[in-house]
Amino acid sequence: MAYTINTPEGTRDRLFAECRERRQVQSALTGLFQRRGYAEVSTPEVEFYDLFLRSGNPMPQESMLKIIDRSGKIMVMRPDCTTPIARVAATKLKALPLPQRLYYDQTVFRSGQAHTGGSSEIAQCGVELLGAAGRKADLEMVALAVDALRACGVERFHIELGHAGFFRDLAGRVDMPSQVIERMRALIEGKNFAALNDLLEPYAGQGACKALRRLSRLFGGAEVLDEAEALAGGSAVLVYLRQLYGELCRAGYGEHLRFDLGMVHQIDYYTGVVFRGYVEGAGDAVLSGGRYDKLVEAFGRPAPATGFAVDVDAVAGCLPGWEPPQLEGLVHFGPGALAQALAAVDGQAPGTWELSPCDTLEETLALAREKGAREVLMLEDGTERREAL
Amino acid sequence: MSGERLRIALTKGRLQDQSVELFQAMGLDCTPIQNPGRRLIHSVPNYPLDAVLAKAPDVITYVEHGVCSLGIVGKDTILEQGRSFYEVLDLGFGKCRFALAVKEGADFYGTYKTRRIATKYPNVARTFFEGKGMDVSIIKIEGSVELAPILDLADAIVDIVETGATLKANGLTPIEDVAQVSARLIVNIAGMKLHKEAIDDFISRCERELERRS
Repeated sequence: MAYTINTPEGTRDRLFAECRERRQVQSALTGLFQRRGYAEVSTPEVEFYDLFLRSGNPMPQESMLKIIDRSGKIMVMRPDCTTPIARVAATKLKALPLPQRLYYDQTVFRSGQAHTGGSSEIAQCGVELLGAAGRKADLEMVALAVDALRACGVERFHIELGHAGFFRDLAGRVDMPSQVIERMRALIEGKNFAALNDLLEPYAGQGACKALRRLSRLFGGAEVLDEAEALAGGSAVLVYLRQLYGELCRAGYGEHLRFDLGMVHQIDYYTGVVFRGYVEGAGDAVLSGGRYDKLVEAFGRPAPATGFAVDVDAVAGCLPGWEPPQLEGLVHFGPGALAQALAAVDGQAPGTWELSPCDTLEETLALAREKGAREVLMLEDGTERREAL
Repeated sequence: MSGERLRIALTKGRLQDQSVELFQAMGLDCTPIQNPGRRLIHSVPNYPLDAVLAKAPDVITYVEHGVCSLGIVGKDTILEQGRSFYEVLDLGFGKCRFALAVKEGADFYGTYKTRRIATKYPNVARTFFEGKGMDVSIIKIEGSVELAPILDLADAIVDIVETGATLKANGLTPIEDVAQVSARLIVNIAGMKLHKEAIDDFISRCERELERRS
């Protein structure tokens, strides 16, 4: 039964520095969210599987951790935070006026592939702005995404903007069977330049084809919008992105913004601006979000919405390492000296002084040596003495 | 982002030789890769690129985790392993195909029995038969897959076929193509975004050489 002292694959114990770095990211994010008027919600760790089917969010069922409850219903460990929040917004928050600004700081669970180093417990901090459509809500959200990574203290990062409508417009302009459109979408998402070109070869005569062929390469700075315009002609989506970008640049966000018009993941879920954040040191996006105007309606209350989630541990992994403080001294205290001993510990930097649990001074001195402390403070019979080691 | 070096993982063996050939045609000095000595990371002296050599599935792992921004690996490994990265170019070498092969004269489809398929690539085989809506039972074999039908362990095999000579020598015949295979250039997702200029430059050099070859 040796396996009982190991943790299951995809999970791990987090000790000291890892907890500290995770907490640092969480408090930077939640502090920022609160300042911007977002209020915390927390949803159950276990929900009905059906909830996630109803959301239209295409999450493969094999990636959810499932439990069968006593009545035989299929439950899942929370695979995503937005769907339960949409449920809350459409039910419990029905009486409250929109827009609502909500944030969460909780774990999602995924059942990943074995032996790939992935985690099945993912700490997420994120926001949802429910009941607000349009430019100002999008500006608020993109600015918040940039500020979120800034607040975490990461240095080199990009937030990439895209728009679900750009691909949809282009795909709507070519005459193509739906399976080919889906295949094309997957190739654009995977930036499979060569295969995309081959797939589109038979449709080369059609107007939008030139833009679709280039779509997987349309990422980078604002020049991407010019190229897209040259390829696709006038497009309301491009005008909109340009407006957003202009406004965000005027507010000082420009240096962190990039574009990827080939961001075409979950194209039936996202309805407008989408964005992802990349940080030097993490292999994949650490922040992901966008506008999803249909989700809340799926639970009975039409409400446009936008939001994003930050992968807390991925960001924490990009921060400079934290060293736990060195223990400086122990407090050895006699009868009646508890208050004085606690005051002595509380007056020092966290983690540098501790109470000694030992009954005799000899034991305390031995313990102090073992732990590498430099000093023992003795509080006995109303006197205070210090012994350096 | 000038001044930064890109790291590429190359699949050891034949793909490595052909990758080096491609790099040389692109004007990269590959002497350190060809004379590796005891070093594990080989720097190209006249281009900001460092190469590591790895087994095919490890190339994917290194690129997915971002410890290498680029990788060259066969489509066979990509199809079997899946995972997440950008697959940007078909490099045109290392060409072969996955095929379904049966004992000569056997009627694979003409029975209602659940067929047994021996393969080194269970995911490729499963995806192929799922696409046909066909239930099969898949047996993973590590060595010579051709042996399985001969020993009557399996009704058919899904395997890499280059010339078909090995199959023929064992009394097997390919009856259907499962997928085309060749070497691919893959790129880490975040790396593609954070080191765009450097990676763009490398990709367009590759493309120019591939265009010249065609």
